[in-house]
Amino acid sequence: MRAVLVGAGAVGLRAARQLLSLTTVEELGVVDIDDVARDAGVASLGGPARAQIGEILELGDGDVLLLAAPCAQRQLAEQALDDGAHVVSTSDATDDVKALLDHDAEARERRRHVVVAAAFSPGFACVLAAHAVTRFDHVDEIHVAKVGTGGPACAHQRHRALGDAGADWYDGAWLRRRGSSGRALCWFPDPVRGVDCYRGSLPEPLLLEAAFPGVRRVTARVGANRRDRLTARLPMLRRPHPEGGLGALRVEVRGRRGSAHDEYVLGAVDRPAVAAGTVAALAAAWIGDGRLARHGAGGLAELVEPTPFLAALAERGVKAAVFEGSSREAPGGRLVEVPTGR
Amino acid sequence: MKIVRRAALALGVAAFIAGVLRLRGSGGVPPQGGGWRELSGPDLR
Repeated sequence: MRAVLVGAGAVGLRAARQLLSLTTVEELGVVDIDDVARDAGVASLGGPARAQIGEILELGDGDVLLLAAPCAQRQLAEQALDDGAHVVSTSDATDDVKALLDHDAEARERRRHVVVAAAFSPGFACVLAAHAVTRFDHVDEIHVAKVGTGGPACAHQRHRALGDAGADWYDGAWLRRRGSSGRALCWFPDPVRGVDCYRGSLPEPLLLEAAFPGVRRVTARVGANRRDRLTARLPMLRRPHPEGGLGALRVEVRGRRGSAHDEYVLGAVDRPAVAAGTVAALAAAWIGDGRLARHGAGGLAELVEPTPFLAALAERGVKAAVFEGSSREAPGGRLVEVPTGR
Repeated sequence: MKIVRRAALALGVAAFIAGVLRLRGSGGVPPQGGGWRELSGPDLR
């Protein structure tokens, strides 16, 4: 496989390292607007990595373009498809996700893959949702919540998402939701535990509604504190941590099994940059192995078989968990009490 | 002038109370039982 990495940051370099260990990479081009970061990344990756300099990406037929930077994703994806390359993007910006999904028809026609939002959430969260869905005869609701960020670009994106309006899929229609609204206490695996989470401009509903067309409700929330909410519409007041901290995600799926209504809750705790890099690298490796479900643009919930993908992630240390138990409010059945209207 | 001052005061008090209500409190109740178990072997086959 030949690959080009755009973005030598916290997620990009981890994805590159994982890719080098997952499959045979003959050549890995590294592109970054920061020459120092790019050269340091190339030096740390060693082997087949080399710096790509210039405005035009050097892509060939069947190569994989790994987009791990806040850049012009639409234009780069278009160039990759023109060159006959596949695309894996880690961006969780709603505009990027929409722009990449718009390439579905073109990618199908060219028989190329555009894997959209192959990161922690969306990405890992989408695979967890797809895995949970296999336990139901019919799925009614999917609710995703996440905490934490990868590198600084991811932290800036989370800040913007909290300040912008998003959309939930609600009874067959998109419902506009104000950023930083809809507080809900979401319970994540230890040691993160309970975190108040809010709506924002989050792309998970877009990807999951497309993957599971019959679903009635899909929502997404992101963990935030009071300072985050107060300053969501202002520039970031603090410089984000270069590597991010510990993050977590939680995916609740509700539906019918036979005649009974049930709920299945999956979660994970990891450093988002580490998990996102592993997910992106595995998606790229599966492209090389021809293991994706179809050509075209889509999220991982549509493109991978979830259980083997989760097993492969677990082998590389990115592990998921399931919530087992019941709340005091609903001792008879549901695992977790959830406020009305989610 | 007096009515304007009173209106401004009322608006200020309302904004303060709204801010307190928005920022304080919690969004729900934690689960009272159960816990997380790592997905492993049989779950991933």
